Amino acid sequence: MTTVVGTSLKRKEDPKLLVGTGYFSDDIKLPGMLHAVILRSPHAHAKIKSINVEEALKSPGVVKIYTGKDLEGKIGRIPSSWLVPDCNLKEMPQYPLAIDRVRYVGDGVAMLIAEDKYAARDALDLIDVEYEVLEPAVHQKKAMAEGAPLVHDEVENNIAFHWKAGEIPEEIFKTAEVVVKESFHVQRVAPSPMETRAAVGDYHPATGELTLYCTSQNPHIHRMVLSGVLGISEAKLQVIVPDMGGGFGGKIGVYPDEALVGYASRDLQQPVKWIEQRNEHFMASNHGRDEIIDVEVAGSRDGKLTAIRVKNTANMGAYLSTMGPGVPTIDFGLMITGSYDIPHASCETFGVYTNTTPTDAYRGAGKPEATYQIERIIDLFAREIGMDPLDVRKKNFAPKEAFPYTNAQGLVYDSGDYEKPLKKALEIIDYEKLRKEQEELRKEGKLIGIGLSTYVELCGFGPSAVAGAIGFQGGVWENSTVRVHPSGKVTAFAGTSPHGQGHATTFGQVVADKLGIPMDDIEFVFNDTKSVSMGWGTYGSRSTAVGGGAVSMAADRVVDKAKKIAAHELEVSTEDIEFENGVFKVKGVPGRERTFQEIARSANYAWNLPEGMEPSLEGQAFFDPENFVYPFGTHIVVVEIDQDTGEIELKRYIAVDDVGRVINPLTASGQVHGGIAQGVGQAMWEGIVYNDEGQLMSGTFMDYTMPKARFFPEIENSFTETLSPVNPLGSKGVGETGTTASIPAVMNAVVDALEPFGITDIDMPLTPEKVWRAIQKGREQA
Amino acid sequence: MKIENSHTFKGVSVEALWNTLQNKEVLRGALPGCKSFEEVEKDVYDAELGINVGPVKGIFTAEVRQVEKREPEFYKLLVHGKGKPGEIDAEAEMRLEDSEAGAVLTCSADVKVTGILASVGQRVMGGVSKLLLGQFFKDIEKETKKIANL
Repeated sequence: MTTVVGTSLKRKEDPKLLVGTGYFSDDIKLPGMLHAVILRSPHAHAKIKSINVEEALKSPGVVKIYTGKDLEGKIGRIPSSWLVPDCNLKEMPQYPLAIDRVRYVGDGVAMLIAEDKYAARDALDLIDVEYEVLEPAVHQKKAMAEGAPLVHDEVENNIAFHWKAGEIPEEIFKTAEVVVKESFHVQRVAPSPMETRAAVGDYHPATGELTLYCTSQNPHIHRMVLSGVLGISEAKLQVIVPDMGGGFGGKIGVYPDEALVGYASRDLQQPVKWIEQRNEHFMASNHGRDEIIDVEVAGSRDGKLTAIRVKNTANMGAYLSTMGPGVPTIDFGLMITGSYDIPHASCETFGVYTNTTPTDAYRGAGKPEATYQIERIIDLFAREIGMDPLDVRKKNFAPKEAFPYTNAQGLVYDSGDYEKPLKKALEIIDYEKLRKEQEELRKEGKLIGIGLSTYVELCGFGPSAVAGAIGFQGGVWENSTVRVHPSGKVTAFAGTSPHGQGHATTFGQVVADKLGIPMDDIEFVFNDTKSVSMGWGTYGSRSTAVGGGAVSMAADRVVDKAKKIAAHELEVSTEDIEFENGVFKVKGVPGRERTFQEIARSANYAWNLPEGMEPSLEGQAFFDPENFVYPFGTHIVVVEIDQDTGEIELKRYIAVDDVGRVINPLTASGQVHGGIAQGVGQAMWEGIVYNDEGQLMSGTFMDYTMPKARFFPEIENSFTETLSPVNPLGSKGVGETGTTASIPAVMNAVVDALEPFGITDIDMPLTPEKVWRAIQKGREQA
Repeated sequence: MKIENSHTFKGVSVEALWNTLQNKEVLRGALPGCKSFEEVEKDVYDAELGINVGPVKGIFTAEVRQVEKREPEFYKLLVHGKGKPGEIDAEAEMRLEDSEAGAVLTCSADVKVTGILASVGQRVMGGVSKLLLGQFFKDIEKETKKIANL
């Protein structure tokens, strides 16, 4: 049987984007469309004493100005959708516009609507807000201290939640041969998709329906949450996501802005468009990370780890965002042992309110942080006992025979063989030779560093019962419909929400194989809540594992029905029909056959169907997986550091990932490359900085360094395949592996390079200045 | 943000410099981008300044207070300004000292800014402030010499 699954097809999605005919939110032009801009707080923490809109209203073209007070009682609060249980979680209300107090630079204060965007922007400056500036809480550890300013008066010590998982008997650390401690700060970063956020509301007064075009990774979640916020039936609210230039977690969140646009369109009975500016994005779109992680491991001199104890102090920002609370708790705290069989683990997480932009999921969401601390501390442990970090890893891996493997925090890893990608990566890089070369070069004064990351991560959110148990306010199943037209061409629908990942291509490959038809005969529909029955979104590397599973099952159902029709027409029993390469054949009788297209016509014409069979040929499936998936792999980074300038050169980057079945190696590699760029970005260049007044100091791309292609060597990536038993495709997730694996791999390489100076840790991002200063300090101490 | 700059007014006495710095008309002319400068009560002024710092452009309305005056050697300026790019709070210590070459004026200011001024302007503000202060010093020097008929 010919197959396209497993082959590198170019993405169907690309031609229209490459020739500039994509259709993004800002391309939407509707008759009578108005333009909205949002006035944002310049203060981190202040009381709103008065808002004077008189001058602004007189400005030409201005239609309406809303303040928080104007909307009181007319619009609901924006809720968090991950209410983690058993952690005394205090969710404080976030209204679409601040009512009497602003809590971060960027907090919405007023929305101004005008006939064109220029008039809107000009008039915005004329709104006069009088603030009484309050002292802000900015840094999470300082915010928890006695006497710190309170972000919300009701929340003592600014502690939004205090979560714990796992307990370690006291004697484990007391009697351990070796205990190693370190504190890591996985710094705050901005997701920075190429397209900022956007929303266009189009209310239809005659029907009471609202169409909301917006940037979202999960249009059905937007529909569900916003129907509550706006008080509109889900059946009357249609959310459409046009082409979207990336999300990376930053577009999971349901934000005040989309609710405001929907409200204004309904109130004014005219379409309203809002496009976020880039500097607005830096302050008003959810940030990622900002977790201070104190970790302690116990082990023996022979390299075996026996316990890991972690305290995570997570900066949640001013409000709990859509998925915010789940990131430093469930996503992080249950994965702290990584790929290692460490018998004892405990994690305690403080979620802290501060006067900063809320934090939410960002590529990897909790797993990069978990991986960072374990992959870094294992290197420090290796150094402490004088072993090669590679050998410590091998000694502690959860063994292949143990799968499905239950980690110390109770998660069941679906499948794994951690030695396999490690072995492949070591061969590619010729590890032993490299270590010898490193030694030689060190003698010549050259600083070469080798960093390993043998990660595992939790992906593919499901099943729904587990989501409920961990406080996620929704399901995590997926659905798909595969609709066969009379010609045999196919329109398929899926609930996941592509925005650059290439679902139409990879899901198309699955359908093409199942139905034995060409890729060109298949079109997919996504991102429209009216066309697609339901979906829980694209995040947590779940689209292929969960969404692809639903697609595969829906296609199977088409084949099942088609087989019955073929058997009926060929006057044999269904068991006698075999289906191969798009042809239904009677076993053992050459020539007695029907093509897929013939059966498609028969099913749709319904002239002669088996008794009792309903017409048409359409398969629908709802797939709720039995478990998460756990992709894993080995990344190895080689760096060279210039000791005079602190400049780091990435010499080689080897990534061997095991993401289960790879549907399309080309698009999967694309995901790995992009993920690595973002992870290395975190390690080396990116970082959101607030000053002590809570002012955002990194509000432009001149102050916030994005990774660029020229910063990288060729990424040498390949895959091993260990199938997942929990979904029909056997696939795991590939979207976040690169980010999760690369951050510690780079840091381990840099710290390894600096070993001669006695350096054991440096804070991210690894700017040349920081590296240079560390070298100077190391020299002084030597 | 700390900003510090000083200037030597050649051949000008500390007393002459002090008088110029206290002259409202002179200040109005010398303050960069000054559109209006009114004394609303003793030692309190309302000013309107046009600022154009790279990406940061706009009119600032500011209240300027002179406090802790010790003629002719010291005074402090408290500035609270507000404009579309953000708000400015500054506390500037102005020191006047004699030297062989002439009076030396040292300005050391602690400036807090918000909004776009902070996130975009911060990087360029140190440099631009020095530039503006330099211009201010030159204008004051010219005026002082004019008044003193030097």
